[in-house]
Amino acid sequence: MRERLSFYVKRESFLHNLNPLTKLVLALGLTLIGFLSPWYWTPLAIIFFIIAPLSFVGKVQRDFLNAAFRLILPATGFLFIMQALFQPVGKTELFSIWFLHVTRESLAYAFENATRIFAMVSSFTIFLLTTHPSELMSDLTHRGLPSQFAYVIISTIQIIPQMQAKAQTIIAAQRSRGLDTESSLFKRAGALVPLVSPLVFGSLVEVEERAIAIEARGFTSRHTKTSLREIPDSSFDKALRWILLLLVVAIIAVKIWLS
Amino acid sequence: MAIVNLKGVTYKYPLTETPALSNINLKINEGEFVAVIGPNGAGKSTLCYTLAGFVPHFFKGDLQGSVEVAGVETKTSTLSDWVLNVGLAFQNPFNQISGAKYTVYEEIAFGLENLGIPRGEMKERVDQALTLTGIRDLADRSPYSLSGGQQQRVALTSILVMQPKVLVLDEPTSQMDPIGTREVFGVIRSLAERGMTVIMAEHKVEWVAQFADRVIALYEGKLMMDGRPGDVLTSERLVGKGYGISRYTSAAREASRRGLWPRNRELPVTLDEAVMGFGGFPLPRGEGQGVRGKGRK
Amino acid sequence: MKLVDSIKKDFNTVTWVLIPVAIAINVVMGEIVVLLKLPIYLDSIGTVLVAAVCGPWAGALTGALSNTIWGLLIDPNALPWWPVALFIGFVAGWCAKFGLFKNWWKVVITGFLVALTAAIASTPIAVYIYGGITASGSSFITAYLLQTGQGLIPAVFSTNFLVEPVDKISTSLLAFAIIQGLSTRFLARFPRPENVEIEQGATRNQLFYAIGIVVVLVLIAAFILTRILTQ
Ligand SMILES: Nc1ncnc2c1ncn2[C@@H]1O[C@H](COP(=O)(O)OP(=O)(O)OP(=O)(O)O)[C@@H](O)[C@H]1O
Ligand SMILES: [Mg+2]
Repeated sequence: MRERLSFYVKRESFLHNLNPLTKLVLALGLTLIGFLSPWYWTPLAIIFFIIAPLSFVGKVQRDFLNAAFRLILPATGFLFIMQALFQPVGKTELFSIWFLHVTRESLAYAFENATRIFAMVSSFTIFLLTTHPSELMSDLTHRGLPSQFAYVIISTIQIIPQMQAKAQTIIAAQRSRGLDTESSLFKRAGALVPLVSPLVFGSLVEVEERAIAIEARGFTSRHTKTSLREIPDSSFDKALRWILLLLVVAIIAVKIWLS
Repeated sequence: MAIVNLKGVTYKYPLTETPALSNINLKINEGEFVAVIGPNGAGKSTLCYTLAGFVPHFFKGDLQGSVEVAGVETKTSTLSDWVLNVGLAFQNPFNQISGAKYTVYEEIAFGLENLGIPRGEMKERVDQALTLTGIRDLADRSPYSLSGGQQQRVALTSILVMQPKVLVLDEPTSQMDPIGTREVFGVIRSLAERGMTVIMAEHKVEWVAQFADRVIALYEGKLMMDGRPGDVLTSERLVGKGYGISRYTSAAREASRRGLWPRNRELPVTLDEAVMGFGGFPLPRGEGQGVRGKGRK
Repeated sequence: MKLVDSIKKDFNTVTWVLIPVAIAINVVMGEIVVLLKLPIYLDSIGTVLVAAVCGPWAGALTGALSNTIWGLLIDPNALPWWPVALFIGFVAGWCAKFGLFKNWWKVVITGFLVALTAAIASTPIAVYIYGGITASGSSFITAYLLQTGQGLIPAVFSTNFLVEPVDKISTSLLAFAIIQGLSTRFLARFPRPENVEIEQGATRNQLFYAIGIVVVLVLIAAFILTRILTQ
């Protein structure tokens, strides 16, 4: 359980200074291109020729590598193994375990699938590493997203680590009272109640007062909301967003044309 | 001029039979500092919510009579407009953090963003408010990383920055340690000195005696006493009903029973008064109480 | 504008404050279950809770945001599944609206319907994004079914249908238990407290109903499964 639930790394860089929406569109665009492209090498190309260089542009290469190896690689690696073992496609059998046959085709499928997911997650990782959640939400609110969404997102990101910390405290307390995570299934299921009820009820009772507190600060005010942060949106940002959109459309066209 | 005016206010929460407030009549003048005391369940919080518009708009239920602030009635207004009239801060400092912001500075600006205040004015007002409550040094910290007393001062600042006409405080120090209590009362003292209209529910009568111009005692939803702090806080009528009573008052009352405190001398509330009283000096009352009262006629 | 009103009704300030807490409950429950090595997920308790007391739209939003935030910040493999979470919240909300959250055997039905929804909604995602084999242990079953000559879609659906009911019925029952532990005074703050007003009835009878319903559900499930598998 992590202490802080946000990837953001504060740096001064070209990527940090881009408009948050541009970076979001970039992440979504790369994901779509990765998934829609008819060529199996596209996700790999995105990872090595776009995302990796971008991590240097954003001066977050270390943090990116860290996330890639600790988070993304294990997840996609597991997916790769599952797919390679279980996908029933193909005839060119390489080897087999029990009823599972690993074929050249299932390996290819697994590879393509895992790299796509890798490309998707790493583009979002770059986005999250270089975009402060508040900036993103301010910008989206400014563009018309209801401000309640900004509230929900930022609040969630801040509450999760608090709850995790509370859970840790409760688990530690229960452990000292003899909670054993190696005991029988029945006992472990029984342990759920004393672990969960203080956590859940404790956090629910706070809801009413917090609602009063934010109402007292004009949360439901009908004024058009303003924002403390000013988020620049240059013509370069706008151009970049259009280019990405065109690229996605082009990939879709190619896919339709080839099929 | 009365800025707050309650006429025949009776209120029942939804699904309840006994009223939490019954037949409250109350006028509060601009610039007055009024403390509300009462045992648990007396209706202090309910009165605060009623002034702040949460009764009836948030809690629903049945509200009889009229609640007016600056000539506007709550029933005809909406909660989101009402927050410009009355600001509310309450016990739990943690629950008053919006959660939507990463720094104290942004947290304080939250209310102004909601009200649609332009960026330039917003920054000016936040800076002013930070100076007023003396938490400028906390501006870049995360609200969650602060102590209870600091969080409560942030909560107060977040409300003050919206410049309400009346400030309502519901036991702002009840969940604070002695250090936090002193920090928060420090801010409240400066508000009192600036002539802000404040209504504060509070158990800690020794502090109440230092700020309040006037004390209201609630009992089972009814207004039992309303008068000068020295009179109300030392009244015989509060004894044995669960009110917070200063230990100095109790000591002097006991002393007077044993003939060690003259029967005609007023009972003390604070340590200072007790020392003077036991030393044989008359208590410095009569001029009206409170930090401003001392300088006023 | 009935639709707009129905959506608006779900969202008051308390709803907006509850959603982040509910998402955090989802995440922490999911983690505690892993810690206790229980064979279920329970990671949509918060979603079902919101759906029951605030309504289907709020439930849907909670589900979708929960999975997105989880996927982006905690486990990348959760990201593609946000539509499933969205439908879970949505259907749970409608069930509650139709009175299926008022006593515990009705909640079992809600759990079953939610499970059915989840099974249906995750099938296209599993098939089109993952070719049927996902990064979850249950794909073992899919693989086995595929080996026995099943079509891809029936195999994936059957797998989901085998896995989901136990989890979603437990989830719904736990959410129900949590709601029962909250005071009426507190529940009155939410947009739809009438959804969870408990129905009084003989508890012993309820127990028999519940057992009966579970048996019927299992029979239906088995019937559907055999139909799919023999096609
Ligand atoms: N939401 C509610 N619904 C129903 N009854 C309520 C509600 N809140 C408070 N009450 C009742 O109204 C009465 C007054 O409560 P209130 O909270 O105003 O008292 P208080 O003076 O603030 O007490 P305390 O010193 O404990 O804060 C009590 O009998 C209480 O049980
Ligand atoms: Mg109270």
